[in-house]
Amino acid sequence: MGLITPSSTGNDAEQKPLVPRVTSLEGKHIGLYDNGKPAAEPLLTAVQEKLAQRYPDATFEWYHVEHLNQIKSDDEQESVVDWAENVDIGIGAIGDCGSCTKFLAWGIELIEDAGTPGVGLIDEGFELDYQSNAVERGRPLRYKKTPVRCETTDLDRVREEVSNEVVDGIEEELTRSLNDKERAEQVAQ
Amino acid sequence: MSNQTQKEQSLEEINRSLYKEGLTDGLPVIPPTDERVEEMLRGTDNPRDHVLGEIGNNDNPLTVEKLASNAVMAGCLPTYMPVLEAGVRALADPDSNSIQFSVSTGSWAYQWIVNGPVQDALDIESGSGAFGPSFHANQTIARALGIAYRNTAKIYPGEKDMGVMGNPAKFSFLAGENEDSSPWEPYHVTNGFDEEDSTISLAGPNSWVQWFPHENSAQDVLRGMIDNTPESMRASSGEDLNATITHFVNPYNAEELEKEDLSKEEIKEYIVENSYRKTDGTSNSMLDTDKVVPRQVRQYDDTDSINIVATGGAGRVNAIAGTSIGGPVTKKIEFPDEWDSLVEEYSVEREWVPTEGFYD
Repeated sequence: MGLITPSSTGNDAEQKPLVPRVTSLEGKHIGLYDNGKPAAEPLLTAVQEKLAQRYPDATFEWYHVEHLNQIKSDDEQESVVDWAENVDIGIGAIGDCGSCTKFLAWGIELIEDAGTPGVGLIDEGFELDYQSNAVERGRPLRYKKTPVRCETTDLDRVREEVSNEVVDGIEEELTRSLNDKERAEQVAQ
Repeated sequence: MSNQTQKEQSLEEINRSLYKEGLTDGLPVIPPTDERVEEMLRGTDNPRDHVLGEIGNNDNPLTVEKLASNAVMAGCLPTYMPVLEAGVRALADPDSNSIQFSVSTGSWAYQWIVNGPVQDALDIESGSGAFGPSFHANQTIARALGIAYRNTAKIYPGEKDMGVMGNPAKFSFLAGENEDSSPWEPYHVTNGFDEEDSTISLAGPNSWVQWFPHENSAQDVLRGMIDNTPESMRASSGEDLNATITHFVNPYNAEELEKEDLSKEEIKEYIVENSYRKTDGTSNSMLDTDKVVPRQVRQYDDTDSINIVATGGAGRVNAIAGTSIGGPVTKKIEFPDEWDSLVEEYSVEREWVPTEGFYD
């Protein structure tokens, strides 16, 4: 007795390598990608402040997706790639819900498409969601878990929660050499 | 186990295997055997490999054959295939925003409304208890579309489907519009279709409130539609996010509104003009803080953000579903050439109520 599987069998994404990391954030032009969620801007603001203290010669350039859903449009996606081509690294936020984590992964993917190393900042409860979306899209995109809970927009609170450990972790994801899976032309799922 | 027949063991094993692979909604399913899928395909003239829509992160194709497989699992009849095909086209329509509301922490559900002659052909309930259990077409069509979405987009709770609470309405949330009892033009006609067309409409609400007016009068019904919409439900139509609220009005209360010559559009205008929600009165980041902050703001921005559907049976209870962050989108149902004979072959007459012969 044969069964006809009910799941889709097409369109598995071609697996692509990550963009090589940078050796240091010193003097870099750092992209801050706000995916349109309310908590993205305060989180990235706190990260920017910490990085500016560590690297006074670094410069920053923001990209704001005005509404989370806009990333679904081809025009917005092209615009993200154009922006990302002009920064040295890209830090994106935030993955703190189902759709925004999905769309954050899309955004970091676009940054990598532009040839720029990227990292997504996520609420720790959305780690598997980010991983799953990233791998399904074709890359094991890097991320850093933060203690900033969903929808936290109080900048003072966010500043406290973005500890040196968090910033260390962001730097680590942007500078640690790629492993074999991340470098491989074909990454097994 | 030892008392089971070979056939029963096989059923159990197949269910266990499908569950293990994440291909079910947690309830037992009918195994999608070659024979059953073949029979299901009698409900469409489209070829097996015809792509009805693309769904999920990678635009995964949902073919007629895969839909039929999911339909078998959900317990559908072959006659439901035309409705399912139209439902898939609704899910795949970017305006449905299913890619977002299917995975969001808000646990949004698939709300389906069926209009037109197909209701009678398939015994789709629009009267008493229409959204509840008991009705084969209502339950299994919605179930099949939910499973098909999950199996095509490959979303699982806690992994891509991040609904915090989950939602029992995700199992099944489908009813017909009670066109026979409604005083208004049908919902699909409002959306640009002919009355003789059959359609299925999709929206994505996550909550459901039932309420009843103090008196069976137009004034009290209108007041109740406003007073019973929770402040957490907010509606506005827009390009980036279409946030809508659907009012399901029972036939008795619809009749009262009709006595006052109130059309659906006039009811919507009344609701928009008279629905407000409180603000905290001190701050609102969306407003210009140089000005005095209003103590209340409109709950419904415009009439396009309200849907009114006549549904349900006798009684004075109504329902509000919202806020939907998907759709609404309406798709026409297309039937196969052998539709009439197929309906005749598969139709089942309900013989549930044993009053026959007692009141002649």
